Amino acid sequence: MGQDNKAIEVSGITKKFGSIVAVNNVSFDVIEDEIFGFLGPNGAGKTTLVRILTTLVKPTSGAARVAGYDVVKESDAVRHHIGVVPQAMTSDLDLTGYENMDIYGRFYSVAAKERKERIKYLLETVGLTARAHDLVATYSGGMRRRLEIARVLVHRPGILFLDEPTIGLDPQSRHVVWDFLRKLREEFTMTVFLTTHYMEEAETLSGRVAIIDSGKIIALGSPSELKSQIPGNDIVSLTADKLSENIIDTIKNQNYVHKIVIENTTIRVYVDNGAQHLPQLIDEIRLSGGKILSAAIHEQSLEDVFIHHTGKSIREEEVRKVSYLVGAGTPQKWGR
Amino acid sequence: MIDMVRLLAVVERDLKKFQRNPVVLGMSIMMPIIYLIFLGNSFQGKLQGIPMVIVDQDTGPYARNLIDNLRAIEAGPETIEIFNMKDQKDAIRSIREGFYKAGLIIPPDFSKRVTLKRRPEVGLFLDNTDNISAETLRIVVKGALNSLDARYVPIRERTDEVHLRGVDLYRKVDYYQSLVPGVVIMAIFMGTLTTGAFNLVMDRFLGIDECYLLTPISKSDIVTGLIISGLFITTVIAVLVLAVSMVITGIPVIAGIKQYVSIIIVIILTTLGLLSLMFVILGRFNHPRVVGILSGFLNVILFFPSGAVYPIESFPQWLKALARVNPEAYAVDALKTILFKGAGLSSIVSDIAFLSAFTLLMMTISIVTFKRTV
Ligand SMILES: Nc1ncnc2c1ncn2[C@@H]1O[C@H](COP(=O)(O)OP(=O)(O)OP(=O)(O)O)[C@@H](O)[C@H]1O
Ligand SMILES: [Mg+2]
Repeated sequence: MGQDNKAIEVSGITKKFGSIVAVNNVSFDVIEDEIFGFLGPNGAGKTTLVRILTTLVKPTSGAARVAGYDVVKESDAVRHHIGVVPQAMTSDLDLTGYENMDIYGRFYSVAAKERKERIKYLLETVGLTARAHDLVATYSGGMRRRLEIARVLVHRPGILFLDEPTIGLDPQSRHVVWDFLRKLREEFTMTVFLTTHYMEEAETLSGRVAIIDSGKIIALGSPSELKSQIPGNDIVSLTADKLSENIIDTIKNQNYVHKIVIENTTIRVYVDNGAQHLPQLIDEIRLSGGKILSAAIHEQSLEDVFIHHTGKSIREEEVRKVSYLVGAGTPQKWGR
Repeated sequence: MIDMVRLLAVVERDLKKFQRNPVVLGMSIMMPIIYLIFLGNSFQGKLQGIPMVIVDQDTGPYARNLIDNLRAIEAGPETIEIFNMKDQKDAIRSIREGFYKAGLIIPPDFSKRVTLKRRPEVGLFLDNTDNISAETLRIVVKGALNSLDARYVPIRERTDEVHLRGVDLYRKVDYYQSLVPGVVIMAIFMGTLTTGAFNLVMDRFLGIDECYLLTPISKSDIVTGLIISGLFITTVIAVLVLAVSMVITGIPVIAGIKQYVSIIIVIILTTLGLLSLMFVILGRFNHPRVVGILSGFLNVILFFPSGAVYPIESFPQWLKALARVNPEAYAVDALKTILFKGAGLSSIVSDIAFLSAFTLLMMTISIVTFKRTV
């Protein structure tokens, strides 16, 4: 390997499916031993990119190297160095959990004794020891997912790809998976490429995060770097009984308010030092004839970074219609 | 390149999955045997009990003579079943309504014309929508007419007549037994259709193919592994089907161990040929419905031109050409040679050569065209 500390190098990858551009000229590097999060809404192109990097799909143009090998020309070598948990469930329903792991280990030529020890340890860690010899057909969705994450570690891959690893899991199982991943990383050096549409997952696990929307990377950096790009440092969410132009203007005109985003009767106000300014803000709204039903302050999250860059929420069903940037003069509509 | 550890993992995975579905194994054995019983009994070598109505308007000696001859056939080979009617119109209507396959009308002057040698005639009304029965009835009635004068043939044999004495080269094989090779091929066909490439189709359908396409496993590992497990399963099925069929149809157990070895070799080679053919045909599909549709189609175009139910020699040219590249035809020929002629491997060298070459070609095509991408 030339650049000794790059696990993944992506340069100008584009993938088109007919007229759909699933991945649009994407370039980035993943450093060895980091957890790199790929955050984006449904249909953003996350799975397509993972499939390109894991040799399942050929890019339309551009190039990528994984573990130093070209994903198209040296796909065999790439497969030797990676472990992948695809987004869809891929464990074999007609086999037991143990058999699924055993067969997988053999596909990677892991020696029998090591295989046995690792499977035992991994099953223990994901809490499936008691069900190890039951058919996967009898597992719950969450159990099946945990098995698949354990299975991919039997061969101790240097680079691990996880495509939405906790999709469909309840919050408790999600935390089990997160703890498991953190623990693993303490024990082995391993680069992790993780896609998700859960902010919290990207934020708590990743060293660096790329935010992708409609096939394009719109922001890249550590969670704190990304959050520092948005104005203010806190977000105050207010629910009012009604909203008038007058009230909105009042809020925008406060000198500590950077930006507001309105969704129905809820206003998200980007402010400096929210705890200090909240009482004042409520007073001003009351003076201009509004009534505040509830108020909450929260620190900025990656969700806010996404909204800042795209003008919409990561969850498509909560698309914000209009947002205003304070200080830019007239209210401005944020295009997609 | 093939890696033994991975190859065996593919084989074991497939065998385990199969073993968890014992119903499939049971059905794979039962169905060809039921097929044998149905085909053997519904599609007999000779016809029996064809209903035929006779209207005797003559009642003279020759008419009685003719009817006696037909009665003899009714009592002997049981080809026909005779009914009587008075009225010609009623008889014809009954044929049209499907009660009889034919009506024989003996006109009032029949005996007189026979005696006077003045072109005697009988009328034979045939339900020609059932061609097979109609043809047989025509022959039966002709035979009965030809032997009308039989009683006047001198008792002493004529010395100037040529007598045909057929000599059977092999043990007598009845129709039921002659179906057995075909039924074994049928079992192999079904086995190869539901193992091997079918796993690939199902894995794609369920979306679990990704989990091994992402590993270092090679195309040859996958194809060869699935062929080995399919071969094992199908050979077991085919041997069991053969054993049960031999018992049911009463094919005598052959003496030599050599013949058993030859049979197993033919079964193995046929299975390999069909398994690799299935990979070429089904290798790219991702829905079990495709396999369902293709199974009926493939069965017809492979099985019927195989010579299992009808001799290849009587096919039209184009169908003969098809039979020449049909692995099932070589398999049927080889099995018939061993089972009914008691021959050994040396008599089926060409069959074995074809099946081996066919397998190699198909396997190469399927590995080369195998797609690793989704
Ligand atoms: N095989 C394909 N054929 C046609 N279009 C495809 C194919 N695979 C993906 N796409 C399209 O490419 C775009 C990106 O899909 P992709 O699966 O990569 O998104 P994603 O970010 O993984 O979404 P999700 O969060 O829902 O999994 C979508 O518009 C999708 O419809
Ligand atoms: Mg996806």
